[in-house]
Amino acid sequence: MFQGDTIAAISTPPGRGGIGIIRLSGAASLTITAKIFRATGKIGKANHAQFGRIVEPGDKQTLDEALLTYFKAPHSYTGEDVVELSCHGSPVVLRKVLELVTAHGARIAEPGEFTFRAFLNRRLDLAQAQAVRDLINAQTAYQAHLATRQLAGAFSQRLAPLKADLITIIVHLESAVEFVEDDISPENLGRIFEKVTSIIAALQHFAAGFAFGRFVKEGFDLALVGRPNVGKSSVFNQLVGSDRAIVTAIPGTTRDALYESAAIAGVPVRLIDTAGIRETDDVVESLGITRTRAAIADADIVLLILDHSQALSADDQRLLDEVPVERRIVALNKSDLAHELAQSHEPDLEDAVRISALTGAGFDELRERIFRDLSGDAATERDDILITDARQQQAVGAALNALNQARDLLLVGELEEIILLKLHAALTVLGDITGETLTDDILGQIFSTFCIGK
Amino acid sequence: MSHQLSFEVIVIGAGHAGCEAAYIAARMGATTALCTLDVNSIGMMSCNPAIGGIAKGHMVREVDALGGIMGEVIDATGIQFRLLNRSRGPAVQSPRAQADRNLYRTEMRRRLAFTENLTIIGGEVAEIKIGNGKVTGVELADGTCIAGRAVVLTTGTFLNGLVHVGKKTFQAGRSGEPASIKLANCIRRIGFKTGRLKTGTPPRLDGRTIDYSQFERQPGDENPVPFSFKTARIKRRQIECHIGYTTEKVHDIIRRNLDKSPLYSGDIEGIGPRYCPSIEDKVVKFADKNRHQIFLEPEGYDTYEVYPNGISTSMAEEVQMDFVRAIAGLEKVKMLRPGYAIEYDFVDPRELYATLETKAVGSLFHAGQINGTSGYEEAAGQGLVAGINAALQVSGREGVVLDRATSYIGVMIDDLVTKGADEPYRMFTSRAEMRLSLRYDNADQRLSPLGYEIGALHDSDYQAFLQRQEDVQRATDVLMNGRVNDLHEAFIEGLALEGSRETLNGKKLEYLARRPDCDIEKLLGVIRAATNGEIADKEIVVALNDTRYSGYLKDQESLAKKRARYDQLEIPRAMDFTEIAGLSSEVVQKLSRIRPTTIGQAARIPGMTPAAVSILLVAMLRN
Repeated sequence: MFQGDTIAAISTPPGRGGIGIIRLSGAASLTITAKIFRATGKIGKANHAQFGRIVEPGDKQTLDEALLTYFKAPHSYTGEDVVELSCHGSPVVLRKVLELVTAHGARIAEPGEFTFRAFLNRRLDLAQAQAVRDLINAQTAYQAHLATRQLAGAFSQRLAPLKADLITIIVHLESAVEFVEDDISPENLGRIFEKVTSIIAALQHFAAGFAFGRFVKEGFDLALVGRPNVGKSSVFNQLVGSDRAIVTAIPGTTRDALYESAAIAGVPVRLIDTAGIRETDDVVESLGITRTRAAIADADIVLLILDHSQALSADDQRLLDEVPVERRIVALNKSDLAHELAQSHEPDLEDAVRISALTGAGFDELRERIFRDLSGDAATERDDILITDARQQQAVGAALNALNQARDLLLVGELEEIILLKLHAALTVLGDITGETLTDDILGQIFSTFCIGK
Repeated sequence: MSHQLSFEVIVIGAGHAGCEAAYIAARMGATTALCTLDVNSIGMMSCNPAIGGIAKGHMVREVDALGGIMGEVIDATGIQFRLLNRSRGPAVQSPRAQADRNLYRTEMRRRLAFTENLTIIGGEVAEIKIGNGKVTGVELADGTCIAGRAVVLTTGTFLNGLVHVGKKTFQAGRSGEPASIKLANCIRRIGFKTGRLKTGTPPRLDGRTIDYSQFERQPGDENPVPFSFKTARIKRRQIECHIGYTTEKVHDIIRRNLDKSPLYSGDIEGIGPRYCPSIEDKVVKFADKNRHQIFLEPEGYDTYEVYPNGISTSMAEEVQMDFVRAIAGLEKVKMLRPGYAIEYDFVDPRELYATLETKAVGSLFHAGQINGTSGYEEAAGQGLVAGINAALQVSGREGVVLDRATSYIGVMIDDLVTKGADEPYRMFTSRAEMRLSLRYDNADQRLSPLGYEIGALHDSDYQAFLQRQEDVQRATDVLMNGRVNDLHEAFIEGLALEGSRETLNGKKLEYLARRPDCDIEKLLGVIRAATNGEIADKEIVVALNDTRYSGYLKDQESLAKKRARYDQLEIPRAMDFTEIAGLSSEVVQKLSRIRPTTIGQAARIPGMTPAAVSILLVAMLRN
């Protein structure tokens, strides 16, 4: 029986569904799940579904309610111990659960790996083998597509100099232990410590920049702005799904910024309903306007709301000038009324979304647009991004972990070959993103850096 | 021919690969012939008179642990021993020794002459005889035929050897010895894919004309660490080496005469090693370096010949003379022989299985420089493996493949048969994924049980190994059970790192052995006392070294595993890669040529994609 390391993946089709399943396969499937799954009674009765809560250890908050089904080896799809967690279908929740299980020892599965293990353990017969091979071929093309996109992408390019720095450190340390009889001067440990520290700082900067990492941890700030009485609060309520904001017909009702969290296309978003912006003498209202300006400055996305039933006013134009284009989504509210605002004549409004807070029309499109802008890529590819991003985050996290250990070991004066073990570990995980570095590459760099040859 | 000579194993060539192969095959009970051009050149050190060094010394220990001969011979003939990296961790420490070149050669020949089942034959092998895809014997240049059931080919630099000194070139296998031209033609006729490599030597100097006061003295260790597990103590008188440097003046002379250098005029086609460049290469490639190191290595007790390590060259003889005399202390030096470069044929090692048997011809094994390696130790390691497998084969037993995880020899052979050789291959510790486990001092733990099982290590040596293991275990028990609190106060206060007395409460001695600030000498004293002086220090050191890395072995394993999933799954020899749908023709070509024996080896072939490995796996499991 083949029993590999424990792998995990979101195994329901991409996109938002009612239910999403995280599947784990491998010897540690159940022990890993037990760390994040709380239920009444003991978990892990074979072939039974069990209700419980998914929690982050150390955090009481429930991430999701889920059903756990345990298939004991060899009676499972892969022939190994398999756990399936049926969660609610939000991509972000699923991604977070995937992140949790990988943090506790699972590895993100390669495309086709579940099927592949099933084949190894003869859970699939020979007739199905052809299908497996086709699957691997197909998914490899898909993987190659992802990899190419990733390689061309900014992330890998930005990572490349850090990886080069890391290789230089390895070259110096390896040379120190390997060529003790040669007349070379590799950098001393103090200098190496500084270099490791600076790579750590740069990687931490990367880690903090993961779009979806931030989604999950904090959510995004979405500020709703518009001149008074364009219906900001109604739009807000539509997005939130309750009558949280006070809606009246009197302009200037919302004098303070209101906050509410909502999930838009599965992404947690903190909505900030702001006071309208207009010239005013009212002290309280002008305070509110100041806060609105601050909210615009801080927001990840500004939803600028205009009244489709009225012509563009000077206040509207000022807002359009004030909110940076790259963080702006323009929504034309009250699309159920007569259209006074001629969208085609205004270059600013070319890709504006038409909505009606009253009827709910156009809100699906708006949500989609918000998600797309937040994820910073084409909407059709969002699930690739989720997974690609999760891999990168896992890799950077693992590299940071190894480098921090290397730094600690340098501090206590540990042996070079042990420090090198950690540095090689960091290099190997970064290689998952940027491509593998072979021993021969490192040796080649040693020979071009130092004149070796007693 | 009724009186035809007949042996089970025939070894061609008596350099460091050939000696090991012949010795171990005979020791394993195979009637063995060792054929050499000149019986006086058996065990000849053609390059510098030294054995060992980091990673290389490890391999000599491994050869010894498997029953080989190199370790014992160097222990008997070494004139300066040093344990390199003594101040560093045990995994990167390694023994190195200067040899008395003539003593080494004589001692090797003497031991082989006294080896049962072994016959030494002087003569040039001209032809390898093949029948039904399998070797049947060899034919000497004088027409003598020798029948053999397995042949180990170790040709060193002799195959189509071409020596360069400046613009002068001549055919030779080594300075003053003829090249093997007929054998080279035979190998090409068989259809092996050959290539050209290059190596070089420095001029030899007359020690009586050297002003040693201009050089730094380099003494050996006070307590020499032997190579062989069988050697209790090094008994020979130890002598010094000397270190000096080239000057800008030397570099100027070389630069001015580069047009007369065969390396830079394009006369030399073979690829030389990047880690062992000639002095002209150093001067050109590292132009900003204003001096290069030279080690003056004595060739022996009874000779004034000196080997200036670090200035190998193929410049014209008069240029060599000029630049050597520009070195401080060598102003009046007499040059005994000029340095030279030699180009030679090698056979692509991807034509081999990991047993070192060729894929094309059954029972034909290749070992040493013919496989694209450099170094006596690399040669010895391969010779041993080829000899073992030849002996196993003629007695009808399964071949042995050494694992990357348990030996440097295993790493080397796997690298060679998987990746081939783009330049002469030398071992480095960084080539081994399991570096922390592959220590010079535990080579016997790693390999002696296997050596015994296959009959390469004899019973008395194995019993000695078991005794050492018992001692190591006793020392380990003290480490595991002894408490830090019971130690003398001053010992604990010597610890430099953070951690109060309280944190040491309840801790075992092994905890101290793992700390980087622990004085190992003191701990050794503690164990010595606890075992009443009944255990040799070297066994206590093994116990301490075993403990030193124990906290990191898991990390090492997971990193090695990450690099190699499904590593051990074996690919059937009969696998037809062209039959597998979905593989690119390039991949099929690579697989068909290299014929990997495991999935791990397949995955390590340059250019193999993970997708191709997956397809291979699936196809493999279908069959």
